[in-house]
Amino acid sequence: MTDSVFFDGIIKILFVCVIITAAYIITTKNLITLVRVYALQSLTLVCIALALYWYEGAAILLAIALITLVFKVIVIPYFITTVQEKIRIKRDIEFHFLSPTSSLLLSLGLMLLVYITLSRIFQDTLAKGSIGTPLFFGAVIGISLVLMGMMVTFSRKKAITKVLGYLSMENGVLLFGLFATELPFIIEFLIIIDLVILILLTTILTVGIDSTLEEYHNRLHRFYLWEEQEEAP
Amino acid sequence: MILVAYVLCAVAALVLVAISRTHRQMNMAAIGLGLLFGAITGYILLCVQVPVDTFMVGNGYFFIDHLGLFEVIVATVIFTLAAVYARGYVENLLISGELETGSLKLFYAAWCLLELVIVLAFYSDNLALFWIFAEMTTIISAMLVAILSAKENIDAALKYIFVASVTMLFAFVGLIFLFEIARSTLGTGTLNWTVLIKHASAFPPGMMIAAFTLIFIGFAAKSGIFPFHTWLPEAHAKAPSAVSAVLSGVLLNVGIYGIIRVFAIVHQTPAFTTVTPLILLFGVLSIAIAAISMLPEKNLKKLIAFSSIENMGILLIGLAVATPLAIFWVIFHIMAHAFTKASLFFSTGILHRQYRSHLSADAPDDIHDVFRFQPLAAWGIILGGLAIIGMPPFMVFFSKFFILLSLGSLSLWVLALVLVLIFIATAAIGYFVITTFTRVTPPGEPVDLVAYQTPLSMKAPIVILLALILILGILFPAGGCTFIGQIVTELGF
Repeated sequence: MTDSVFFDGIIKILFVCVIITAAYIITTKNLITLVRVYALQSLTLVCIALALYWYEGAAILLAIALITLVFKVIVIPYFITTVQEKIRIKRDIEFHFLSPTSSLLLSLGLMLLVYITLSRIFQDTLAKGSIGTPLFFGAVIGISLVLMGMMVTFSRKKAITKVLGYLSMENGVLLFGLFATELPFIIEFLIIIDLVILILLTTILTVGIDSTLEEYHNRLHRFYLWEEQEEAP
Repeated sequence: MILVAYVLCAVAALVLVAISRTHRQMNMAAIGLGLLFGAITGYILLCVQVPVDTFMVGNGYFFIDHLGLFEVIVATVIFTLAAVYARGYVENLLISGELETGSLKLFYAAWCLLELVIVLAFYSDNLALFWIFAEMTTIISAMLVAILSAKENIDAALKYIFVASVTMLFAFVGLIFLFEIARSTLGTGTLNWTVLIKHASAFPPGMMIAAFTLIFIGFAAKSGIFPFHTWLPEAHAKAPSAVSAVLSGVLLNVGIYGIIRVFAIVHQTPAFTTVTPLILLFGVLSIAIAAISMLPEKNLKKLIAFSSIENMGILLIGLAVATPLAIFWVIFHIMAHAFTKASLFFSTGILHRQYRSHLSADAPDDIHDVFRFQPLAAWGIILGGLAIIGMPPFMVFFSKFFILLSLGSLSLWVLALVLVLIFIATAAIGYFVITTFTRVTPPGEPVDLVAYQTPLSMKAPIVILLALILILGILFPAGGCTFIGQIVTELGF
């Protein structure tokens, strides 16, 4: 009993952490912080997976935690930071349609909407009690994270910020998968594939062909502040 | 074990691309891969009892049924012809400096990889596995779009990746739903299509609607359905024409294939009645947005790309009707559209080489004296255009006609609306062809244009495809009919 209460408490704290990081990703303009917050968010997911493992004891959760730790907390943030240093953009101040405040408000609305929709869909399962309340909240936060990530992807201009939005969406899918059902092996495999895809994607961007980046280069060229560096593809 | 043969061939082709030095050699590897895939597929078609599900003993990750085989046949034909076409096309891209020599290896490697991944996607039994392969086709084909050294190509590729990947994540959430549904009804969670379709009638409808809607969002974006079609005209217009043909003829089918598979599951449940109006709505909206965008379009490639959106809408309408007859013609239309659209993109590529090399990419095509310079491409566009709008002897006529006929049994008002929209799309193609192809420099005035010597490798695929859609339209073999009939039965309609 104490175990279960303790577990509930821990999970709730971790959920709050996830939401805070998501809010930060939506509003921040500093790209380096953005990557760090993303790493933090992934770390929170690792903690959640570990807490679930401790509670349920399914070995697959441990494997997921490990993979997330290696790729999402260490490799990808490191990779993106390196890329950023190479192309020297520090800030993405261009918000396409939404200002930070309105996107925060919108994401609040989205979370409520997701809560209502999911409680309808899971009505039967909830009543039967096969899905507990923390698990249900996990699913809600997972989906909300997906939608918030999508908002970042579509409202920011720079490709790298879009990539981070996508990564955050993917975190949401992972969270939803953790809570909605027992994960099959295939999802693990999928995560790796997704990461490979993203690394590929960012490499394409690194070569220096992001549209806004090119404008940036041209501007620097004009004032002789930038010397062309040939990057090995 | 047949899948291993596919993989081995692809690996061999990749190695050949890696060690070859000239464009010719790499191209031969790509053509060879297409032919080999064709041979293996032909072997399966003739000598193997389909459906097969015993590739990897003990698990059901892959299987071959008639639908998968059908899609692979279509894909193989288009890939082989596109590789032949690329021989002349890519060479000219190299000469004009639009493609750097250094990117050539990457281009052909991505080409061979894409071919393999698409085949594996169509042979996937496990839906999550199919999802992964579909996602990989997005990335690899985006690389093929981005390969030209122009900024617009990168923009188009990025847009493609972001729209398709972001929506595909929703599809994945839908798959998790489906997994949970299977777990709660069957006891063990599974995403194997063969298992799901067997037990589909027991699935709870509420969850099924949610699962289908999410999966639909993902695969609709992959096949360019409104409102996720925004990437499609950009990517198709900016890609090299050989790639555009593959994008339109094969990659759009990947999305539709996913929708058909999941829809077949939903069709067994009571959720079916809720879902069909949704599909019908998006089908009609896609046709509408395509028809309206086509009318003022001045760029031939974009016009044809929008026509792809229109045809995807027609496929969705056929699905929404969901009678065995409609599904039969949906399957038929997949093939008809793929062949016709590939031939159109091939012809466009020739015109593109002739007229566009000195223009910026977004400018309207400055096409004139087309019959003097490129008579074959002009006739290719005219005949292909007639075929795609559904003129009688060609394949598309039959599928369009019967899909619309079965729509009429559902609702006459929707049919009337769709007919008007299709008429607008038809008018747009006709208007474009009439206005641009009649531009002739008066005799006596100098023409500052050198005729582009179209190599045979670029002409042959057009002729072959046009002949194919004409012959298959006039005499479709009886074996083909039973084959498609078997697909419909296997899907449970």
